[in-house]
Amino acid sequence: MIQIQNLKKSFRTEEVETLALNNVNFSVEEGEFAAIMGPSGCGKSTLLNIIGMLDNPTEGSYKFAGHEVGGLKERQRTELRKGNLGFVFQSFNLIDELTVFENVELPLIYLKMGKSERREKVMKVLERMKIAHREKHFPHQLSGGQQQRVAIARAVVTNPKLILADEPTGNLDSKNGIEVMNLLTELNQEGTTIVMVTHSDRDSHYAHRVINLFDGQVVTESQNRAMGAMI
Amino acid sequence: MFKNNLKIAWRNLLKNKSLFIMNTLGLGLGIASCLIIMLFVIDELSYDRYNEKADEIVNVVFRAKINGEEIKEGAVMAPVGKTLTQEFPEVLDATRIRQIGTPKITIDNQSYREDRFAFVDANFFNVFTLPIIEGNPKNPLQEPNTVVISRATAEKFFGASDAIGQLFHLDGEERPYRVTGVIEEVPQNSHFHFDIFASIEGLDEAKSDSWFGGDFFTYLLLKKGSDYKNLETKLPYILEKYMGSGMQEQMGVPYEEFTKENQLGFRIFPLTDIHLYSDNSAYSQLEQGGDIKYVYIFSAIALFMLLIACINFMNLATATAAKRAKEVGIRKVLGSNKNQLVSQFLSESFIATLCAMALATILVFVSLPFYNELSGKELQLDFLLQPVVLLSLLVLTFLISILAGGYPAFFLSSFKPIAALKNKFLGGNNNKGIRSGLVVFQFVISAGLILATLVVNQQMNYIQNKDIGYDRDQLLVLREAYLLGDDRDAFKNELLKNPKVASITNSASIPAGSTDNYMSQVYINGEFSRRMPVFNIDENYIATMGMELVAGRNFSTEFGTDSTNVIINQTAANVLGFGADALGKIVTDGGGDHTVIGVIKDFHFKSLHQKIDPLFLFYRPFGGLIVKAKSSDMSSLIADTNTLWNDFNTGETFGYTVLDESFRQTYVTEQKMGSLLNIFALLTIFVACLGLFGLMTFTAEQRFKEIGIRKVLGSSVSEIVTMLSKDFLKLVFLSFFIAFPMGYYLMNRWLEGFAYRIEIDWTVMAMAALITLIIAFVTVGWKSFNAATMNPITALKDE
Repeated sequence: MIQIQNLKKSFRTEEVETLALNNVNFSVEEGEFAAIMGPSGCGKSTLLNIIGMLDNPTEGSYKFAGHEVGGLKERQRTELRKGNLGFVFQSFNLIDELTVFENVELPLIYLKMGKSERREKVMKVLERMKIAHREKHFPHQLSGGQQQRVAIARAVVTNPKLILADEPTGNLDSKNGIEVMNLLTELNQEGTTIVMVTHSDRDSHYAHRVINLFDGQVVTESQNRAMGAMI
Repeated sequence: MFKNNLKIAWRNLLKNKSLFIMNTLGLGLGIASCLIIMLFVIDELSYDRYNEKADEIVNVVFRAKINGEEIKEGAVMAPVGKTLTQEFPEVLDATRIRQIGTPKITIDNQSYREDRFAFVDANFFNVFTLPIIEGNPKNPLQEPNTVVISRATAEKFFGASDAIGQLFHLDGEERPYRVTGVIEEVPQNSHFHFDIFASIEGLDEAKSDSWFGGDFFTYLLLKKGSDYKNLETKLPYILEKYMGSGMQEQMGVPYEEFTKENQLGFRIFPLTDIHLYSDNSAYSQLEQGGDIKYVYIFSAIALFMLLIACINFMNLATATAAKRAKEVGIRKVLGSNKNQLVSQFLSESFIATLCAMALATILVFVSLPFYNELSGKELQLDFLLQPVVLLSLLVLTFLISILAGGYPAFFLSSFKPIAALKNKFLGGNNNKGIRSGLVVFQFVISAGLILATLVVNQQMNYIQNKDIGYDRDQLLVLREAYLLGDDRDAFKNELLKNPKVASITNSASIPAGSTDNYMSQVYINGEFSRRMPVFNIDENYIATMGMELVAGRNFSTEFGTDSTNVIINQTAANVLGFGADALGKIVTDGGGDHTVIGVIKDFHFKSLHQKIDPLFLFYRPFGGLIVKAKSSDMSSLIADTNTLWNDFNTGETFGYTVLDESFRQTYVTEQKMGSLLNIFALLTIFVACLGLFGLMTFTAEQRFKEIGIRKVLGSSVSEIVTMLSKDFLKLVFLSFFIAFPMGYYLMNRWLEGFAYRIEIDWTVMAMAALITLIIAFVTVGWKSFNAATMNPITALKDE
């Protein structure tokens, strides 16, 4: 699903050029659950942003489902993101002014889906995430765990091929963290590819494979022996 | 999607209530001012448009410059209309109006004074659209002594009974006038307002074929599509053809020679231009009209008000963009494209504008009666309910939404999603340059308007306090005292016994307001010199009016020959070339030779828009009475005079004016416009300050932590207030460099309309600068002070 070759990303300020990613090569197969790990500043989030088509690489190739997407314009990236990718963030990134239902509904609106179909899909996913009873609440009325479940609901409501999770348990206590990881695993088992950036060793064990980054380069790749070993 | 946008927009607006209130209030005031000014402008531009043939009707006026005297008269000679119809095929018809002052009308022993009375040609109602609602709809004025009256006048004269066929008598005429038609009131937006239109057929002078003298306001009906300017170019030929033969006799020189040194001509005004473009001097039009200058000035103010309010919206939206960054980021990540975001932000400005429009409509409803009182207009609220106006308001709402929300929408929607999610963009500092530029623009307008207001007020003050050459206080004018007939002297003597009366003069020549002054053609050594205004006075006039003789003597009853003598003003002495040696000189007019026995100090007998003209004062003690009161308690003197008037049992209605009031009336347009300017300038600066307050609030929020740290480190309140305020005050200061040169230029143009005027000096600008700075400082200082006096712990805990 994802093929990355010789990928570089540099940031230029007035005085200095910083190489955030340097010759990164790896691929993620369809249905895989991959974790990207590494110390702060190693380029994990930059890599995730490029995979999520929120940013373009400076050099190299990024193929998504066989198509080169590394040089696409913002409008084209937006179109490709819609329905194909779902995002889960550490800080949930729910829109404060929207209710739970409306937050989850938003990607479907951008897909120009009809109202009744939207309602059906949103309710289904909310029920699955066990948060349907809170559909009319606003984010600030929910606990962190509940907010992350809403965020996951929003990420999966379009049935994306790929879910990108950026430290999804970073702001959660361990009980809620486990719950979130179980949800992601469940989604993966149903066929959704997941790429997750994490600091947490425990969370990384949920993944099939761990890609370790250091100073913008992939230093090691390791296969986990058993999926969901910590469950 | 649209519904979703509106929903989110509404929630966002509610979430930032103070911002929403500031935006709505600012926009609401801007739109309300704009609407009121729009009503004013539409009303001004609608004058005479009620006529179905408005575009085909033109007015012929007379313009001349004879021996240096500029003549601008709205009325022309009797045969002009008829002649032009005969000479030019594009002139289909001509009709005339002749005013005769305030005639006395008698119906069954009941008498009325009617100043809204005019003689008109029989075809008048074919040219002007004033439908006959009762009586003869085709030719009501075909016969002499027939009249068409307004419905209100019909009710006043004849009560409930049918007015058609009813008779009334006009003072001095034996044959009664018969009502042959009734019309509705002449519309408010007409350049004339008569209630009684009498047939001109019975008026001998209307049949005159003299091209020298005449007082007929003449309107031509042109062929559809014909160019009045083209017709105007042919008019000199007409003058030559019809005036040429009589010139030698009238002026003593042949036409060719006369026109070598003097200018004579007709000009044509389209009917719809009369109200706004006519010359505003005494004889130029039937009623005091408007002025296109004020239409431009107030249209500009309306536009500026709206722009300032929109700028507030833009500035506050971009300044607080950081608050919206996360939302923009999430939406972009979830698949929103730029257009969708733009439409969402535009929805917010649409809702804010809609709320502002609702507020503005309420403000207009509430303030229109006050505005009407202030401006002397009769603007109607039902105007706002017309479908076309409602549609325009909706279009205006869209336009303002785009104007105010367009820039923020594009600005916010252009955030990069990652940066926006991480709040890694420069937030409030983004586009600070543009924001500063817009603040400068707002204060250029505000400071400019304050300067304009100060200049207008100073000029009005100057007019009120200028030495006008006589004492206008405590003067009661009984212009119609001649109605007392033989009893007038007895009345005067009786009134003189009243201890409240200082003196009385026998004259109706009044230097302000309605007057009996007239023009006389003056000859020196048998040669025509120029026309001059004439005052008819008695021996008490100069003392009663507080005027001053600079040479010679006053009229006196001791000199039997004073009826042939003349007193002239200083300007006349100069214009006639007498200089300081005027006494004893002979001048000639239609009444024969007159010896100059005195020179009176120049006094203003026209408005200060015009220079003092040369003036003759003759000893002709008739007409009205002017009473000088001993004290300023005019009301009790008026009551006493009224009682005395009634005691004389003349059956005439008592009428009076107070000279000071008439003087003020001369500048009523400027006074009204000045008052409106004061109000709109205040509103403009209020809206501009609202924006400044919003920006200051945002800055204080943004620098909340910094203020806390500075306070912990020992900064004083005044240091923090200075730190926060100085950036804004610098911008306000900068605006003066643009506002004042522009204001100076434009206000000088306005002052050019006055022959007697103030000069704009640096003190006025310093005053305007000070006022603007104080207002701006209070606005930003208040918020800065609040920020500076907060407990620093609050700021640091926030971390």
